[in-house]
Amino acid sequence: MDHPRLTEYLKRAMPQAEDLRVVALQRISGGSSRETYAFDLEWSEGGAPRTRPLIGRRDPTGGLLKTDREREFRVLEAMHRAGLRVPEPLHLELDPAVMDRPFFIMHRASGRTSGGAFPETEPAALRDKIAHQFLDELARLQALDYRALGLELLGEPKNLGDVARTQTAHWREIYDRDRMGEHYPILDAAFAWLGANPVVADRVVVVHGDYRSGNYLYDDDGMLAMLDWEMTHLGDPMEDLGWASMMFWGRGEFAAGLMEREAFYRLYEEKTGRPIDRKRLFFYQVLGNAKMATICLTGVCDFAEGRTADAQMPFLEQLLAPLCDDLALQLKLI
Amino acid sequence: MLRPTVKELLTRLQGTVAGILIPELTSPYAQGQAMYVVAMLARAAAVYDREAAYDAAELKDLRTTLAALGRLAPKHIGRGLGDLKKAVTHGLNAAKKAPPDHRAMEAALSEFAAALALGRLDDALARVVRAHLKRHLDRTREFLGNVTPSG
Repeated sequence: MDHPRLTEYLKRAMPQAEDLRVVALQRISGGSSRETYAFDLEWSEGGAPRTRPLIGRRDPTGGLLKTDREREFRVLEAMHRAGLRVPEPLHLELDPAVMDRPFFIMHRASGRTSGGAFPETEPAALRDKIAHQFLDELARLQALDYRALGLELLGEPKNLGDVARTQTAHWREIYDRDRMGEHYPILDAAFAWLGANPVVADRVVVVHGDYRSGNYLYDDDGMLAMLDWEMTHLGDPMEDLGWASMMFWGRGEFAAGLMEREAFYRLYEEKTGRPIDRKRLFFYQVLGNAKMATICLTGVCDFAEGRTADAQMPFLEQLLAPLCDDLALQLKLI
Repeated sequence: MLRPTVKELLTRLQGTVAGILIPELTSPYAQGQAMYVVAMLARAAAVYDREAAYDAAELKDLRTTLAALGRLAPKHIGRGLGDLKKAVTHGLNAAKKAPPDHRAMEAALSEFAAALALGRLDDALARVVRAHLKRHLDRTREFLGNVTPSG
């Protein structure tokens, strides 16, 4: 993001602000599906000095996901309005003339993230607290009335049987687009299985789409904010649970690196007051592995074909091996 | 032999990026990108001379597996499995081309993998496909490494 253009944009977006300055603008890693920038905004209002830590998220030239930034912004607005732990979204700019590509600005929450599983080096008491907060937040998300929040824009499924089929078809289409003509027999088999074994949701809820360790900020007192809402859609509550508890994100028997897997499931049932349907959970764990492998292929494809120069993208090829291993075991292919 | 060799070049350039470029970079994001470059150069140095062997092993295994499936086909691919009969024929024809059509062979094998996932194969066919997929995964894991998000 260009410093003078960002400053001018924010001056227009905040006409009440005087002496507005963008300070310490820097690109940061994380949220790899969009270019992410951190900066502080300093201004005065009614003579009083003000400051606010902010994040700018701009569409990339290529990368992991091709998602709609307006959709992500509207989801963040709805989640913030509903009182979930999310960074407050502030300004959305869709006109590419302003900063080359669409972007939005949101509050920068403090705290740290883990790369994947919750770190073993953190105290056990903190891990346990975050496990509870992680599932509390998921239960609150799944209890939301998406219509009351105006989230029909996420695309309401035609019926409960349509939910799994829609997600399978969506990721299959991306897989076929980004596999660069190669065949990955385990992924071909997984998509065939998913297509032939669709499950029927018991209700339609807001699905975060990437609900896992590594996507929330926390500090020594616990979980602060859930991030990365760009894959949010309406779907089956088992989808987020299945994704969060994939072996890929956790160490051995620890779901999400937070809690022993069966205890994690029991706690989810306790928090939501609903029993887990193991058949649907399994379906979404298979879909999760196939989806993650597809996301990796998108990153690799965009790097190989020159749509992104992000040096993290070729690394994603290496994640295919454990994902295919997990799928092969799940579907008894070996 | 021309020096530096490709392996030496890939190895020494890691030192250039890590020892010369990274200390000069002030942006943490740029430093992170440079570290990915170092990691990718290290990976390229480690595998560049194994890539051809990996591809050759995959091709040889596909050829052997498709031949085995072709031998089983008359007795074990019965009615309702016409798509698999076609797949094995296509795969065997692709293997006979010069050079062999690797992608078409993979496509044929993928049809059998999908059929295995759907429970459409009898025990004899399933055994052949499972054994191939296991060898394929072992080779791929050995070649790519077993990396997870938590390292």
